[in-house]
Amino acid sequence: MTMENIHENELVMKRLFENIVEGDLGMSVASAEKLYSNGVNAETIVTQCVEPAMKSLNDKCTVDNFNLLEIMLSGRAVMSVMKILFLSKKFPDTTIGTVVLATMEGDAHDLGKNILKMVLTASRYKVVDCGKNCSVEKLIDAASAEEDLLVIGISGLITSTIPLLQKVKEILVKNNLGHIKIMAGGAALKQATAESLKVDYLGETAFDGLDYIRSLHN
Amino acid sequence: MNSLERVAATVNFKTPDRTPVIAQVFGHAAVLAGVPLGEYLCDGKKIAECQINALEHYGNDAVFALMDVNVETEAVGSRLKYSENEYFSIDSYAVSDKIDIDKLEVPNPEKAGRMPELLKAARLLRREVGDDVVVVGNAIGPLTITTQLLGMEKALYLAMDYPDVFVKLLDFSTEVCMTLGNALIQSGAHLVIVFDPSASSSVVPPGFFRELELPRLKKVFASFKQAGSTASWLHVAGQIKKILPYYPEIGVDIANIDYYVSPEDVKKILPNMCVNGNIKSLSFTDATPEGIASESANLLGNLEDRGGFILSSGCEIMPNAHVENIEAMVAAVR
Repeated sequence: MTMENIHENELVMKRLFENIVEGDLGMSVASAEKLYSNGVNAETIVTQCVEPAMKSLNDKCTVDNFNLLEIMLSGRAVMSVMKILFLSKKFPDTTIGTVVLATMEGDAHDLGKNILKMVLTASRYKVVDCGKNCSVEKLIDAASAEEDLLVIGISGLITSTIPLLQKVKEILVKNNLGHIKIMAGGAALKQATAESLKVDYLGETAFDGLDYIRSLHN
Repeated sequence: MNSLERVAATVNFKTPDRTPVIAQVFGHAAVLAGVPLGEYLCDGKKIAECQINALEHYGNDAVFALMDVNVETEAVGSRLKYSENEYFSIDSYAVSDKIDIDKLEVPNPEKAGRMPELLKAARLLRREVGDDVVVVGNAIGPLTITTQLLGMEKALYLAMDYPDVFVKLLDFSTEVCMTLGNALIQSGAHLVIVFDPSASSSVVPPGFFRELELPRLKKVFASFKQAGSTASWLHVAGQIKKILPYYPEIGVDIANIDYYVSPEDVKKILPNMCVNGNIKSLSFTDATPEGIASESANLLGNLEDRGGFILSSGCEIMPNAHVENIEAMVAAVR
């Protein structure tokens, strides 16, 4: 690789970082494709562009400044970049841990969960998505199937799912899975406390969830 | 003073006989009366009966002709999943990729979906309380109708990817909102509270709100005023500190404030606007009456002297809230 190529790649990497932060889907995809065709490997692109871009969003994402639209746009750009990079590769090779996500039975809203999924995927976690309207049984089955599960993440938009969420820990214990941590987040749950929800952690944003998961293995 | 006079005085920063208190009791009114929530949400007569029962029980200053946030989207064509004891959710959205937005028709509130029952609730409530208690109708704001027609994710991506199409849909939603709100006023509501949770700064940036939603809300409230509304009440949930400065331009008379916004923020940002709030909704389910009494006393201590304050929850009081907690809030102004 010539010095000229290296310089060009550096510029495109910088541009990809900016494209993701700005949530520009088309430009993000174009930049990622350019880097990939120039022979830059997927891991370099993830660690030097995607992850720093997500960190930059994390820094911006305070209670006062958070907004769903910007996070969704960046998240969409990230997922498209990840698809280009890992389309034909085994994703688990690059993961650093597994997370099970769900929105509980009775709650058909899964946007919050999907955003967390994007953030975690971009940060190289393997995400097992149990979907929306998920029963406790389905959640337990998914958790049992994963050998090195870091955490179960539950998102809730409506408060009527709180009673079910409060039972998850107890059911995990009954199934000899009491060691698995539970984290929660979402519009309905923000007003509550982790203690009242009987979970190990309650996050305000998807990035809080990411920080918590990182704290479990760092 | 009766409740209507009390609220009117407060909105105009005149001195009421006491601070008004409005418990945002919607589905809870059904639970209080022992009526299944699913029946309440479909039946104007039941809504009126349960609201009157709640009014007699709590003695607060308003009743609500209000169902849920899906009335408009259902009337346009979304299919709902009905439930006996839960709020309904959307099963399929009215607007899909195959639908031509130009061909969408603004629903007639006298005929479409559950709208006629909502109008019936307003009529019965007004007949029952006359001009003694505030009859509040409810319409959903343009941006929230749009996200309820398409789904939040699709709607927001549409706003960014195809702004012209999005604006067309937003204009359609504005017509839906105005048509229902005006029909509610004609049916007897003294005013219409506009719920617009999708306009929250937690969902869209303040610039998006200013450019797209502000002019449409302005149009909505102007039309309500023309139809005879006694005040313009805007309810945007979540973090809204950065959009509050736009409220005077919209023509808002009462700004709903959730727990994210402090009394200090209110005094600074909206010195001349009536606000209602801001006890955490979940506290009515989780906290004790003593806790609610203390939170109410703090709010009154902070905002009563300023005037223009209605004690209230920051958002809906959940159906399963503890009766004693609502009683404690109402007792705080006595």
